[in-house]
Amino acid sequence: MLEGAELYFNVDHGYLEGLVRGCKASLLTQQDYINLVQCETLEDLKIHLQTTDYGNFLANQTNPLTVSKIDTEMRKRLCGEFEYFRNHSLEPLSTFLTYMTCSYMIDNVILLMNGALQKKSVKEILGKCHPLGRFTEMEAVNIAETPSDLFNAILVETPLAPFFQDCMSENALDELNIELLRNKLYKSYLETFYKFCKNHGDVTAEVMCPILEFEADRRAFIITLNSFGTELSKEDRETLYPTFGKLYPEGLRLLAQAEDFDQMKSIVDHYVVYKPLFEAVGGSGGKTLEDVFYEREVQMNVLAFNRQFHYGVFYAYVKLKEQEMRNIVWIAECISQRHRTKINSYIPIL
Amino acid sequence: MGSMFRSEEVALVQLFLPTAAAYTCVSQLGELGLVEFRDLNASVSAFQRRFVVDVRRCEELEKTFTFLQEEVRRAGLVLPRPEGRLPAPPPRDLLRIQEETERLAQELRDVRGNQQSLRVQLHQLQLHAAVLGQGHGPQLATAHTYGASERTPLLQAPGGPHQDLRVNFVAGAVEPHKAPALERLLWRACRGFLIASFSELERPLEHPVTGEPATWMTFLISYWGEQIGQKIRKITDCFHCHVFPFLEQEEARRAALQQLQQQSQEMQEVLGETERFLSQVLGRVQQLLPPAQVQVRKMKAVYLALNQCSVSTTHKCLIAEAWCATRDLPALQEALRDSSAEEGVSAVAHRIPSRDMPPTLIRTNRFTASFQGIVDSYGVGRYQEVNPAPYTIITFPFLFAVMFGDVGHGLLMFLFALAMVLAENRPAVKAAQNEIWQTFFGGRYLLLLMGLFSVYTGFIYNECFSRASSIFPSGWSVAAMANQSGWSDAFLAQHTMLTLDPNVTGVFLGPYPFGIDPIWSLAANHLSFLNSFKMKMSVILGVVHMAFGVVLGVFNHMHFGQRHRLLLETLPELTFLLGLFGYLVFLVIYKWLHVSAASAASAPSILIHFINMFLFSHSPTNRPLYPQQEVVQAMLVVLALAMVPVLLLGTPLHLLCRHRRRRRRPTGRKQEDKAGLLGLPDASVNGWGSDEEKAGGLEDEQEAELVPSEVFMHQAIHTIEFCLGCISNTASYLRLWALSLAHAQLSEVLWAMVMRIGLGLGREVGVAAVVLVPIFAAFAVMTVAILLVMEGLSAFLHALRLHWVEFQNKFYSGTGYKLSPFTFAATDD
Repeated sequence: MLEGAELYFNVDHGYLEGLVRGCKASLLTQQDYINLVQCETLEDLKIHLQTTDYGNFLANQTNPLTVSKIDTEMRKRLCGEFEYFRNHSLEPLSTFLTYMTCSYMIDNVILLMNGALQKKSVKEILGKCHPLGRFTEMEAVNIAETPSDLFNAILVETPLAPFFQDCMSENALDELNIELLRNKLYKSYLETFYKFCKNHGDVTAEVMCPILEFEADRRAFIITLNSFGTELSKEDRETLYPTFGKLYPEGLRLLAQAEDFDQMKSIVDHYVVYKPLFEAVGGSGGKTLEDVFYEREVQMNVLAFNRQFHYGVFYAYVKLKEQEMRNIVWIAECISQRHRTKINSYIPIL
Repeated sequence: MGSMFRSEEVALVQLFLPTAAAYTCVSQLGELGLVEFRDLNASVSAFQRRFVVDVRRCEELEKTFTFLQEEVRRAGLVLPRPEGRLPAPPPRDLLRIQEETERLAQELRDVRGNQQSLRVQLHQLQLHAAVLGQGHGPQLATAHTYGASERTPLLQAPGGPHQDLRVNFVAGAVEPHKAPALERLLWRACRGFLIASFSELERPLEHPVTGEPATWMTFLISYWGEQIGQKIRKITDCFHCHVFPFLEQEEARRAALQQLQQQSQEMQEVLGETERFLSQVLGRVQQLLPPAQVQVRKMKAVYLALNQCSVSTTHKCLIAEAWCATRDLPALQEALRDSSAEEGVSAVAHRIPSRDMPPTLIRTNRFTASFQGIVDSYGVGRYQEVNPAPYTIITFPFLFAVMFGDVGHGLLMFLFALAMVLAENRPAVKAAQNEIWQTFFGGRYLLLLMGLFSVYTGFIYNECFSRASSIFPSGWSVAAMANQSGWSDAFLAQHTMLTLDPNVTGVFLGPYPFGIDPIWSLAANHLSFLNSFKMKMSVILGVVHMAFGVVLGVFNHMHFGQRHRLLLETLPELTFLLGLFGYLVFLVIYKWLHVSAASAASAPSILIHFINMFLFSHSPTNRPLYPQQEVVQAMLVVLALAMVPVLLLGTPLHLLCRHRRRRRRPTGRKQEDKAGLLGLPDASVNGWGSDEEKAGGLEDEQEAELVPSEVFMHQAIHTIEFCLGCISNTASYLRLWALSLAHAQLSEVLWAMVMRIGLGLGREVGVAAVVLVPIFAAFAVMTVAILLVMEGLSAFLHALRLHWVEFQNKFYSGTGYKLSPFTFAATDD
């Protein structure tokens, strides 16, 4: 790409960037969270959300209000906003936005295949699918029996197709294979997305690359953590790691050899960025590794808004909104289950 | 009208509403719109307040209303406007309304559901019929048989076992945009072991939910083998296709088709019945909904107002605090008495002292409203501050007219405004929704005056569509000049320009009775004459306007009891302004009166004099206007400059002195003061949470603590702003000259370039008449578009600026807030 995005960025994307920054300003503030936490019932929560930018998005819900209804409506709202961005975007922003949906599509495909494996009805699982990752052929996923089947019949026309080149196999789709498939897809997806951002250059690359690197490293950690005590071989494990990021390549090789959490921790000690994260685990308030990662992600996404003329704001906004939704759902769950002791362990968005 | 000069007295009133009568009292207050409630529960969040349950019930009801309204709208009906006055219903009526609407909503939902399902069924039947009727069948069948006959040897050759394989069919319909994807997926998933034929439906069917026409693609898939069949069925499922049984024999299909048609006919009848019933229900909704909506809206407003009240310790009454104009207090008392009479316990209202600045209330009528609006859009006046609006009524149209002076244009504007004023009571005019129209309509009286004043200034400038009119005989005589200087015919023929010399007897007979002499419109030095006149006029108007603003400040100081400011601020300001710029005005007028045509050659230049005045110098070529001029000027400059330190230091030093004097005195008075202000509410409120009051008290004490640096800073800013402002604001008034010049020139150009050319075109009557029609049309359109709308807008903006910046900053702070009474007026509409 040409240098100096600030000269002509606004010609094509200025409107959307302005819009997304406005949307970001509508995220819930610390004060809102404090008020939400004080709510006694979900109705109170609804009333309070009405005073924020969510407005009366729950107005048409019939009683009784449940957490899943709130979740669905929030997702619908986010999806509506995203669709608006997407419909008004020009190249290469539209490709960027398509890349963003890919991760949700992967999740949906895997979810549907798992559902088919457990003989659940498609409709039930469709409700759980993320609306951002919806595509027409999605529901036909369960007719496929092998990954290559899946690719040839269903996904060849979707944006997911390029990620399949690594995982064509004739193995039957059992639970382990599906999990492997997901990770391979993810790896391939992250690598392609990373390459796209890198090739795009400019501020977009400067902002997006660290975020994606973190995402890749996080996946590597999670995969390692989840593979302890499973039949996954160490070689196989290594093939699942995305091949970029701060850990690549030495860290990943070491991670592939790790056998328990302590070994992982000692590997992480070599990395200044991740050391404090691992040290924070289990500290004050019993944070899990996941929480710590989420916090770091929020931090990076908020920082993305400090730069202008780049696409990272769209990614950051969607991720922040997702985190906010997770927070609201967490608070709502705590309220509805009358389990107030942990209500404060949401991830604050700075 | 008396209340226009400053805002009305507004008192903080404490209302004791007996719990039983609180609702009726507040609803009555809402009807009257007298008071603005203060939120006494600001620290309590929205869902912890007392009447939140009732508010929530109202909201529930409103949700049902929205549903009903949506249904009525979907049926293409309109809700009638509610008639008559509908008071907020007593709380027990809420149940009745709730029941009624719930029942109606339930009924409507049922009928709607029935209709929906019938429609879906009908749609299904129609689709099925369409699929069967859609010519796939025969073609495929024949193709199949032909294919079989042609391929007989080929099929038989590989072996007999496949002979008994039958061709199976899946038939159905799918939305057109999904069809290509479906076809491709089918082909890929089944590796081509099928024949699919797609065709579009000729006749669009009604969509069962939205009722919009939608086309469908019907398809017929023929395949071999059960496995592929399963796959196909799964795929068609996931594309949400409608799949129908497809019989192989043509006769059977035809019979099925006939049956389907019969069924759909029956279905349509049933549907018609349902729809009739639906319209009945909707009719009932139409009757019930509008009044109920208004009532519930009022009810919700009442509860929201009640939520702002605090509860007394004994729980017997609610305590509300409200701002109310002193003039309305009797009406308030009466309303409270009346509405609480039923309960036996009377609601009372009594004034309590307040430290907060009360809201500003200025009652307007339809005439003054637009002028008050001009002032308010700059800033709502501080409580009881001098209100510039009554003066704006005259000065605004006048300053506008100075820039817009033209009889013709003014008259057009006046007539337009007059038409609006005369038609203002017509409902069609009132109900117009167009935003631009509403803006014009809201300012119709403003426009009326602006037009009227423009006609006046137009006469002064002697311009009507840029043409001069000679109502009176001109003061100049060409004949006298010709006779005196003996102009021959040959001389006249040679010279296109002739000079009229006013010094020759009989040429200048005296000033024109009113405005500019029309003979100037023929003069070559027309423009320079007008420029000199308009520039001087602008400065005179400006200085008078600003001085008036400074004088208005006097009333503020008197009213707020700050007499020291009269001496330490207004006086220096006035001296500074009048000593420098007032003197300029004096010079202008003096020269007008004193220097005659005879002495024009040696007339002194005011500009040079004024510059010399500041430089304390004199130029020998410039004659003095009057003896001792230099001494007077020097004195004035010294006096004006001496006022600057007075203005800069006077008020702060005075405040400091007073503060020190007070502190030296024993603090007894202060304590007494505090007790007087704090004790009263405490005693009367018998100890309810008056922490707000206490906080206010603390604040006031801090306020009494004078911060010298801040006072000095404030006064320094004010001084600099005023002194520099005097110069720049005087210059700013020159926009009057500039805009009026621009307007005159534009209309002159329009006349010369359009109308004059048109009038000069054809000498014959017929040609001229034909040509003049389009030319006049162009002239008229451009006059309205450019001169009236565009120029009018720019003159309006400049007049607005002169009022806001040059005039109002001399005395108007505009830091108040409006009294917005709790009223149902908006819900009634």
